[in-house]
Amino acid sequence: MRSNPALGILRDVCAWAIVLLFVFPIFWWILASFKPYTAIFNTTPVYWGFEPTLDNYRVTLGGVSRLSLITDEGAAGTVAGGGSSYYSIPSIIDSVIVALGSTVLAVVLSTLCAYGLSRFRFRGQQNFVFWILSQRMMPPIAIAIPIFFMFRDLGLRDSHVGLILAHTLINLPIAVLLMKSFLDDVPVDLDQQAMIDGATRWQTFWLVVMPLVKGGLAATAVLCFIFSWTEFLLSLQLTTQIRTIPVKISTFVTSTGTEWGFITALGSAALVPSFIFIVLVQKHLVRGLTLGSLKD
Amino acid sequence: MASSSITASAVSRRHSWLPRWLTAESALPWLTPVIALLLAFGVYPLLYAVWLSLQERSRVTRQFEFVGLKQWGIALTDPRTWDSFQVTLTYTLVCLVVQVVLGMAIALLLDTERRGYGLLRSLMILPLVVPPAVTGLMFLLMEDAQFGVLSYYLKQLGIIDPDNPLLANNSTALIGVMLADIWQWTPFMVLIFLAGLRALPKEPYEAAAIDGASAIQAFRLITLPLLSRVIAVAVLLRSIDLFRVYDYIYVMTSGGPGTQTETLSFYAGRLFTLANFPYAATLALIVLISLNIIAAVFIKLFKVRF
Repeated sequence: MRSNPALGILRDVCAWAIVLLFVFPIFWWILASFKPYTAIFNTTPVYWGFEPTLDNYRVTLGGVSRLSLITDEGAAGTVAGGGSSYYSIPSIIDSVIVALGSTVLAVVLSTLCAYGLSRFRFRGQQNFVFWILSQRMMPPIAIAIPIFFMFRDLGLRDSHVGLILAHTLINLPIAVLLMKSFLDDVPVDLDQQAMIDGATRWQTFWLVVMPLVKGGLAATAVLCFIFSWTEFLLSLQLTTQIRTIPVKISTFVTSTGTEWGFITALGSAALVPSFIFIVLVQKHLVRGLTLGSLKD
Repeated sequence: MASSSITASAVSRRHSWLPRWLTAESALPWLTPVIALLLAFGVYPLLYAVWLSLQERSRVTRQFEFVGLKQWGIALTDPRTWDSFQVTLTYTLVCLVVQVVLGMAIALLLDTERRGYGLLRSLMILPLVVPPAVTGLMFLLMEDAQFGVLSYYLKQLGIIDPDNPLLANNSTALIGVMLADIWQWTPFMVLIFLAGLRALPKEPYEAAAIDGASAIQAFRLITLPLLSRVIAVAVLLRSIDLFRVYDYIYVMTSGGPGTQTETLSFYAGRLFTLANFPYAATLALIVLISLNIIAAVFIKLFKVRF
């Protein structure tokens, strides 16, 4: 478009203003994690002029006990905390295991299913996909209770495998829809050509089609990872020993007070893995989310 | 199709002993793992909920007793159900409209090759990676009446009354929760719409420019129709999640003040924690049925094809 320079600058200003407005809560959150308690709770917002502290990270990530923090430095803790442990590295490890496990499982299963849906038409296909989509329509709280009983009987309660299965279950509908859209974009002629040349269906799938949807696989994987990484309710209900990060953070809201310093620190730390994922596949992600809908 | 006869003959050569529907040449084997998982872990909870919704815990024996549709009768005449249904609908519609309109506006704004916009697009996605439970806490802190940065600026701007904290006030509590949802999920819409916009063909716009169409006309007559299916799918996915909203409400208001921000799924959750399982299951099924109807009507209306 032929553009007027003044309009272009106006556009830049608007774009930066809006994006910074959306980034502000995260900025504020990360800033709070470096603040001493008194600076978090100030009636006017504090941007600078506080003494930055790593105490919140030392407790949540470094395993320093909250009590020693108070006695050593005589500062920080003004709110009475319970005796619960704030050391969260095991939670981060649990979260990584569960998120990676359910991502791999969801991507593999949904890719197979999506290939079947994309390459073969069958009667009732529309209804079948609707049925898969409807798996996401039940309130999570109502799924949590029966799955809890089921896992107890199967010995899956409080296990990584159980939580991986549960997260896979809630991710499958979106993963199948996404993967189908990517596979629909790969011309069927390619499959036929490969098979005329003597490839089996499986070889065609694995050696011809898969390399062409790598971007789609990455995008689906990232979304599954984020949904699993951020999931709260099922993790809360199905586990007690294993604590994923959102559940761990919720335990910092204690009956004697909310440990905002630790919450902000662990919350900030939890952003890092997802953000690394997003940056790595940002290009594919944007492409991926058209859901194939633009085809006709 | 010629292709199917080719592939069929190829298969008959390789696996002549297997019926065709069991070979890789039919959909079934490809779908089986997903079907198995959904049957094992998706259908059981549904049947369990249906079974529960037909029971009642006996006051005497503390055992479940079959009572038929009694819970359903109670649910449909319970004013609290209808209130929470109304809150759910309000929440879903307002958030959806704001997220779609704002998402589209931001997507249009960021859809350019100008310098620095790649960075802006990446930054715009950031809110998506925050766990919703953490988002709730984040906004709880920011909307705190005394110490919240958001409350502070809204007070300065005269938008909120200093004596009426956002989340503690009957008329504004739901808005306070919606702010968190809108902050988190508008970027999702931006992402989808940007993807759609970037895939649009250039020719119609060039033709429109020659015909002297204004930017607004081009948007209304070219962009919107071409993006209609992207928008439809985005709205469908988002409505499903909005209608079941739980995390934000659990963290920020617990349904309060009173029951002002109690959605259907939160009401169901509250009943679960009070161990009134049959009634909670009934409400959960009402959510499921409502969403099925909404989604089916939507798919029919906007001709979404899978």
